[in-house]
Amino acid sequence: MPMRILPWLIIPPAAIIGLGLLLQGISAIDSQLYFTWGYFLEVLIAGTLQGVMYSLVALGFVLIFKASSIFNFAQGSMVLFAALTMVGLMGWGLHWTLAFLATAGVMVLLAMAIERAVLRPLVNQPHIILFMATIGIFYFLDGFGQTLWGSDVKQLDIGIPRTPIFIFEETFEGGILVNQFDVIAALVGGALVAILAIFFQKTRIGRALRAVADDHQAALSVGIPLKTIWAIVWSVAGIVALVTGVMWGSKMGVQFTLALIALKALPVLILGGLTSIPGAIVGGLIIGAGEQIAEVFLSTYIGSAIQDWFAYVLAMLFLLIRPQGLFGEKIIERV
Amino acid sequence: MFYREAGQYKSDYASDQAIFPIRQDRIGVLLIFLFALLVIPFIATNYLLNSILVPFLVFSIAAIGLNILTGYCGQVSLGTGGFMACGAFFTFKLTTWMPEVNILLIFLMAGFGTALVGIAFGIPSLRIKGFYLAIATLAAQFFLIWMFTQNPWWTNYNPAGVITAPPRALFGNFYITGIEATPVNKYLFLLCFTAALALVAKNLVRSALGRAWMAIRDMDIAAEIIGIRPMAAKLSAFAVSSFFIGISGAAWAFMYTASVEALAFEVTRSFQVLFMIIIGGLGSILGSFLGAAFIVLLPIALSNLPAMVGLRLPVDLIAHLEFMIFGALIVFFLIVEPNGLARLWQIGKEKLRRWPFPY
Amino acid sequence: MSAVATAAAPNQNQQEDGGVTQNTARVFDEVLLEVKDISLAFGGVKALTNISFDIRKGEIRAIIGPNGAGKTSMLNVINGFYHPQDGTITYKGQVRRKMRPHNAAKQGIARTFQNVALFKGMSTLDNIMTGRLLKMRTNMLLQAIYWGPNQREEIRHREYCEQIIDFLEIQAIRKTPVGRLPYGLQKRVELARALAMEPELLLLDEPMAGMNVEEKEDMCRFVLDVNEEFGTTIALIEHDMGVVMDISDRVVVLDYGRKLADGPPDEVRRDEEVIRAYLGVGH
Repeated sequence: MPMRILPWLIIPPAAIIGLGLLLQGISAIDSQLYFTWGYFLEVLIAGTLQGVMYSLVALGFVLIFKASSIFNFAQGSMVLFAALTMVGLMGWGLHWTLAFLATAGVMVLLAMAIERAVLRPLVNQPHIILFMATIGIFYFLDGFGQTLWGSDVKQLDIGIPRTPIFIFEETFEGGILVNQFDVIAALVGGALVAILAIFFQKTRIGRALRAVADDHQAALSVGIPLKTIWAIVWSVAGIVALVTGVMWGSKMGVQFTLALIALKALPVLILGGLTSIPGAIVGGLIIGAGEQIAEVFLSTYIGSAIQDWFAYVLAMLFLLIRPQGLFGEKIIERV
Repeated sequence: MFYREAGQYKSDYASDQAIFPIRQDRIGVLLIFLFALLVIPFIATNYLLNSILVPFLVFSIAAIGLNILTGYCGQVSLGTGGFMACGAFFTFKLTTWMPEVNILLIFLMAGFGTALVGIAFGIPSLRIKGFYLAIATLAAQFFLIWMFTQNPWWTNYNPAGVITAPPRALFGNFYITGIEATPVNKYLFLLCFTAALALVAKNLVRSALGRAWMAIRDMDIAAEIIGIRPMAAKLSAFAVSSFFIGISGAAWAFMYTASVEALAFEVTRSFQVLFMIIIGGLGSILGSFLGAAFIVLLPIALSNLPAMVGLRLPVDLIAHLEFMIFGALIVFFLIVEPNGLARLWQIGKEKLRRWPFPY
Repeated sequence: MSAVATAAAPNQNQQEDGGVTQNTARVFDEVLLEVKDISLAFGGVKALTNISFDIRKGEIRAIIGPNGAGKTSMLNVINGFYHPQDGTITYKGQVRRKMRPHNAAKQGIARTFQNVALFKGMSTLDNIMTGRLLKMRTNMLLQAIYWGPNQREEIRHREYCEQIIDFLEIQAIRKTPVGRLPYGLQKRVELARALAMEPELLLLDEPMAGMNVEEKEDMCRFVLDVNEEFGTTIALIEHDMGVVMDISDRVVVLDYGRKLADGPPDEVRRDEEVIRAYLGVGH
């Protein structure tokens, strides 16, 4: 698939500069709005780094949707469950690396159990039934995780430094404040995406996965074991959920609300498309940055706590312009 | 034996197109309705009325509404909670603004208002299909709830952000909202109201509009080629569905809980109603009732079960266990009967027709 | 060449038995629809290149060609599903603007599909009733009340649909969900739904594909009867040469998105290029 690079080099910087100029213009008219380019960039960077976290959750959705056309609503509760399990295991005195590996094992077991108990009996059912089943899994995992490990807010500390740092101190007055934790989280996210890309492109399992994603029937007919593939995909999604859980959990504590961050990742999917991994990443960054900028610069005008819905509205507006999403091909319908 | 249609010949199209073409069904439904209307008010306890029958009826309206959109027109929506909130807050604003207008009229006006909101959100989101639409409806959900929590205007500047149902009578002294309203009054009103709304829904789905919705659901391209405008059909389903859901939200706030904040209509409410129609049966008015009954009764059964067995469990553990069992039951149910309770009922009826013969 | 001729023979006899007037005798003057220089491409793939032909009022017009020749694309262009990059469509003397399929339906163009496109969750009767939707006038409020004007209208249209049901001999499956019907009957229900629209132009995309001989004969009879009794103009795509040569008045042949030949069946049958496209060189 030929990727046209040029638009990607031009559009994002142009959009950022345009947005900055617009806000600068507003601040010139209305003194209520505080704007300097340094502050703008600071917010933008913080938002983008936050967006990496959204990308991670969206990635879990995309993996499963690509391989099985299932819209896995339980991704959020998988994040919570993984984080709870890891905290629980660390509470038993395990080092965090060991706890991480053990939890990864638990997630694989969970994936196999889901494949066995839910997906296999529901094979060939309409998509909406499978979607409902994943909402069932969502409730079950939420209850299960909290029954096992309790529902109080827990700290998850794996030693990521949290001290903020300043960059570009010469260019901008006071420099730009960047949260070190967010940078590390972004790096981890990037590494995870790179590993997944290699896994999908270079390994035999990866090729089988792509075949399944293209056409279930055809994949079955050439001897690809669909059920194994599904178990693997759900395991991978489980491990992605674990990484997400560790990152989010150490940022804001492990608690019930972690399960709801999945909802924040959904607009990312509208933007990027349900089947596109690059879409999930870029979509996450856009949503993260857009949301942060809106919260900081616009909340004086339309009220606070707009991050509950802003991402959705952003995605909807985007849909009006480009219904097939960022990376979607224009669909030719056949009759 | 008794459930036979032999000998019942239809001699015109009108009787062939009736809602219950079989005489036994007609009699059965009439008996159930009369029992609910004339007997239950005298024998039911306040607990049964307030905690089971009233929410059952309220949810039935919502389930019928969502079933029109999802079951009949094939568009998945996760915005039910938001639209219920619309109905509740519109009713509150309208009835505090115009106290002299009859509450029934206010409910209907709130329903129409919600339908307009539904159309407003439907226009951009109906360009997309399937799960993308489901996600887009979440935008309505979050935006509406945010709007009702953020703007104190909606609650008439109540410091707690709560709306409380003022006393309103349907006629004379027959109060159906507020503290003067007895559970029996509320129940009787809701029973008749729900029955009327269900009849309206049934009439719509067996007329031209309903066939257009189902055509869009089953194959949108073919529907367009026989002359259905997909956008118009989907929007009308969105509007009618929102009308029902808005009314159910109003009934929820004014008759079930009596005072409510916007957060009562969070996204979990949307899932709840979606579960009802899936478990009850997509594309079935009867299924909407069955699903509502199931979802209302299940948590009550779950929370009473440990006490009945003699177990004493901490409250939060019970809550978590409820979540688990609820989730597991949903999955179990989908595996056993993906077409819902309405389908089970149909199979049962077929069996009954043949009984006592096996074939 | 000989394969084409022999396949045609038995059907020809059957036709004469039925007493249906044969194609060669019929002459049609009034042009109902004319496509001119139509070109359609998806990305770099050219589906249709400079296609021109006309469909005249009252005739049965066949579109034939090997797989991938662009026949279905042509029908999709005619009923507004695809928008050609080039060319004009003139329908009933008016040049058509870019439109959606439901506009075409409103103008009286009905259609059946290669892969049956019925509404699987509905009964046969309801499927046929959807074909009447454009003719139904009562508004939403009256429909919600049902009794009164809406019921009268429902019954009036039901009566029309029952006529079609009788005509196509599908009385027994009236209340059956179409998903449960065998393929041959589904095709018939689809035809019934198209007929319920009272179309002026009926587009049939392989109405006899996947049928056995008996079912094909039935279908042929229905197509001819529709043309005869309702006076409906029919454009059909079909692979069975026997059928095509037998029932159509004029044939247009497509190959790789280009027009190879156009004319009465006998003429087309003898066309060198057509024979080459169908049977390959050296046959």
